[in-house]
Amino acid sequence: MASKDIPLDKEKKRKRTLKAEGIPNGSGDGKLVETKRIKPEPVLKQESDVSLFYAEEEEVDERDPEKDVEHFKAACSNIKHAILEIRELKENKASHTMDDIEKKRVEATLQFIALKKLNRLAHIRCKKVRDSTNEAKLRIDKYHLQLQNLLYEVMHLEKEITKCLEFKSKDEEIELVSLDQFYLKAPAEISKPEVTQHDQHQQTLARLDWELEQRKQLASRLKVSQESKAKVEEDIRMKQEYLENLQPKLNTILQATKPVQDYLGMPFDEIREQHQTAGYLPLPLFVLYKQSTAYREACDNLLTVTIDGDLDAAKLVDLSVPLLDEDSESDQEEQEKKASKRRRKTVDSKLSDKKHRLLKKHPLSVIIQVGCEDGSALHLTFSYLMYLHIVTVSIKVKQSSEMGNSSVSGGDLLSEDSLLDELYPGDHGDTTPNPTNQYQLARNGLKDFSHYIPQVGQPYRWAQWICGLQYLGEGAPQKPQEIISCGSLQGTIRKIRQRFRARSSLLQQLSALERHSVAVSGEYQSLFPVKLQSLVVSWQRSTFEDFVAAPHTRSIVEAGLAKDNDMFFIAVIERGTAKLTARIAVAPDYPNVAPVFSVLVQWQSERCSANDSHIKNLEEELNVHYDELVQEKSCDYLLTNQMQRLIMCFDVYLETGENSAKEGPSEFSREKVFSRTTRGRQRAKPYKYCAELGIFTHR
Amino acid sequence: MAKFLKSTKYAQEPDWPIAGVQNYRSNMKEARERGLAARKLLYTTVFSQCFSPCGKFLAAANNFGYIAVFSLEAALAPAATDISKNPIYTFKASEDGSINCLISTDTLIISASYGTISAWKWSDVLSRASKVLWTLTIPKRQPFFTPEVNSIYINSQEDMANHLFAGCGDNNIHVWDIETGQEVHCLQGHTDYVHAITKKSDNECASASEDGTVRIWDCRSAGEASLILQPFKHEACARPEFGKWVGCVGVDSGNDWLICGGGPRMSAWYLRSLTMSTTFDTPGACQQFIMFNEDTVISAGTEAFVNHWYMNGDCKSRVPCTPTSVFSVAINRESETNRVLCVAGSSATIDVCTNFGYKAFGLSFTIPD
Repeated sequence: MASKDIPLDKEKKRKRTLKAEGIPNGSGDGKLVETKRIKPEPVLKQESDVSLFYAEEEEVDERDPEKDVEHFKAACSNIKHAILEIRELKENKASHTMDDIEKKRVEATLQFIALKKLNRLAHIRCKKVRDSTNEAKLRIDKYHLQLQNLLYEVMHLEKEITKCLEFKSKDEEIELVSLDQFYLKAPAEISKPEVTQHDQHQQTLARLDWELEQRKQLASRLKVSQESKAKVEEDIRMKQEYLENLQPKLNTILQATKPVQDYLGMPFDEIREQHQTAGYLPLPLFVLYKQSTAYREACDNLLTVTIDGDLDAAKLVDLSVPLLDEDSESDQEEQEKKASKRRRKTVDSKLSDKKHRLLKKHPLSVIIQVGCEDGSALHLTFSYLMYLHIVTVSIKVKQSSEMGNSSVSGGDLLSEDSLLDELYPGDHGDTTPNPTNQYQLARNGLKDFSHYIPQVGQPYRWAQWICGLQYLGEGAPQKPQEIISCGSLQGTIRKIRQRFRARSSLLQQLSALERHSVAVSGEYQSLFPVKLQSLVVSWQRSTFEDFVAAPHTRSIVEAGLAKDNDMFFIAVIERGTAKLTARIAVAPDYPNVAPVFSVLVQWQSERCSANDSHIKNLEEELNVHYDELVQEKSCDYLLTNQMQRLIMCFDVYLETGENSAKEGPSEFSREKVFSRTTRGRQRAKPYKYCAELGIFTHR
Repeated sequence: MAKFLKSTKYAQEPDWPIAGVQNYRSNMKEARERGLAARKLLYTTVFSQCFSPCGKFLAAANNFGYIAVFSLEAALAPAATDISKNPIYTFKASEDGSINCLISTDTLIISASYGTISAWKWSDVLSRASKVLWTLTIPKRQPFFTPEVNSIYINSQEDMANHLFAGCGDNNIHVWDIETGQEVHCLQGHTDYVHAITKKSDNECASASEDGTVRIWDCRSAGEASLILQPFKHEACARPEFGKWVGCVGVDSGNDWLICGGGPRMSAWYLRSLTMSTTFDTPGACQQFIMFNEDTVISAGTEAFVNHWYMNGDCKSRVPCTPTSVFSVAINRESETNRVLCVAGSSATIDVCTNFGYKAFGLSFTIPD
């Protein structure tokens, strides 16, 4: 740069000198100088040879700038000197001075030419330097570009290198046999231990080769196995076909034996079928089936026992696995609870599904048909609730043709829920006999079991017994015990039949009573006199509420002799002006539990057991001494007989009543024969009829 | 089939669970019998009651032929529970039905039913082993008719044999010597059955009958009645709507007054003049029991009240009770500590009044199964 500066300084100097030169000449002079300076050159160029101009450029290279500076200084001082001399001469004002001045001026002007030359040289030099500088600059740029290219290339290569380094070979993913095993198992031509022991790469290659070899072997083995499998399958198929073809043939043989069986009266097939089906029954029902079949064969041929239901579904039911994984159920439930509302629908459906599952019956059921002599029959369908471990009963009544007469007041006598109510005292069949069930139901968010009875049937206790089930306290239901079933079956069947007969007969009696006739059957005629004056004028169904509401029934209700599951009736008996209203409670276990009568007599005044001891005695005749009205053989006509006795006692009551009419004869003439009309301190009336003598006596 | 055979093994398993079922079933049998027991309880009528000689026990007899013995001490104890109000011992005293009267002597408890009078030893009864000591039979005069005994009393005199008087359904009063068991007399004259008899004096007795008369007899001989009262004919007493029967009679200790009641109004008769002096009005109710107690008269009948009267005919008090028809009121005079008044009638509950003015509690005449 210093070399560059120098010419610049020179330039400046030269310009200054130029200016300084021009100042004395004024501005017009300066212009003139310029034009002079510029003009001579092209003239020079034009006039002289062009090479002369270039010669100056070459001259620049030859000349030493330092010397030029000295030349410049010398020229300048010469000019100065000349100017000074001229001034001196002018001041001296000598005549010759004019020449001297002229001479001096020429000299000085020559000096200016030299200066001009120097200036030109300086310019050329300056240009040259600039050119060389530019040249150097270009060269630098070029080098720089080259450098950058190289750096980029380096970077690219480095990237390539890392990529290469990161490359993973496929063989790394393959799990190879261990090295030891490889050398042990692989043949030498593959393992080539001498090479591979030291060369890791070769070793890996060898191991891969060995792997390939082994895989090839295994593939071929697979192929062989598949072939043999297909062959075996074909074999199986053929055998299956053969067996399937055998079945129809066997069936035809069985069919062919049917007529023979029928002819000989030995329905082996049916029995066997039933027995085979029985094998799929749940254990309690199996016990029932077995015991009831045995009972039927031994002593009761009016009983029929059949199995009903979907046998195929039963085959799928596996009773051995725990059917309900309750823990997971509850977990699931909790999860469901957490689930958002939009899932509620599915939760609901799941719950109902679960409910359905909990109350699920075994697909098979045992039907016991209890027949009666008159042709009517009771169908008892026993089902087993698999998850609740209880047996339920559904009842269907098949009435015989002669039982056609229906009764308004006793329409529900043969209904499903009342027919077998209290077969054993307290057994209403409305709660589950298995104490565990309440917890199971509660856990699954179900209501009390009684809500589901219409759906599943009634779980009477006796039904559990005859199926051999019993529940002692809490805990898992025990295994069905045949001995329990055995011990209760006969009694229960007898009770059912008895109940059914009693209800049928009660229905007939009610129907007769509705027609206001008290139809005493022949065997009981002797208990009553032939002629009775009082008449039944009304017979109606009533309710427990009505029974309780009547004031004269208070003592009976308090004594617990009328319960809300009884059937209630109101009978009205009249004779003349006297009217007797009897409220009757018939227990479900009729006739084992005798109907209870509560009597109100309206005759002159209202009389009932509370204010008239005779009425109390009358009630006692009906409510306590009813056993005289039934015979060992059948007690089915108890209600009719009680009604007849009520009518008879009412007659007695009226005929022996005090003649309260102050004048005239009593309203009711004595048509019966009494030994005494009153007896004892109670002045009791002779309500008891002595059939042999046809007279009324006291108890 | 295999399963069919296999399952027979259950038959050999131990039979202990059966016990549960059988227990349950026997409970059911009990339940049913309780049903009949409850019915009997509802229709129980207690006709008579008496206290033991020691005064600690009450015996009561009902229409089903049972005699129940209650411990008064236990029932009166401060710690008494419902159980202590049940009989300590109950036994069947009559096969034929109702026991109409019950009396107690120093050692015996005597009950009368239909046709028979039986005696038990108190000591046996209290040790819960009843054994009939002796039985008297009322002579039957008709077939198909067993006369009932409606009222008995024992006349014990120091110099004479103990006589038992019984007013019976055959219209007669039979007199037995209980030492020998022989019938001494038969007092005949009533035209209908005898409701009640009472001792008038050592030699006389009074009887009330269904025929409407009250007769006074000389017990020493079997003659006609010495006196006959007919309340139903007396204007002040007659109540035709209730009949003419006389159900109860009482004579005061001074032997001056006789009170009787029944269909006609209850009335007091002055014996010296044989005039009716006072009536005791009980509208709508017939008196079935009369007793003199100190200077008052206690009567009860076909309503759920016990009446206490002054001799002038004013009602001292009417005490409500459980039975709707009262047949017996008994005061325990044997023991001062157990001095109670017991009311029995057409209810299984025997009311006990410690203070005679109100009912304290009830004893329950339960019948064993």
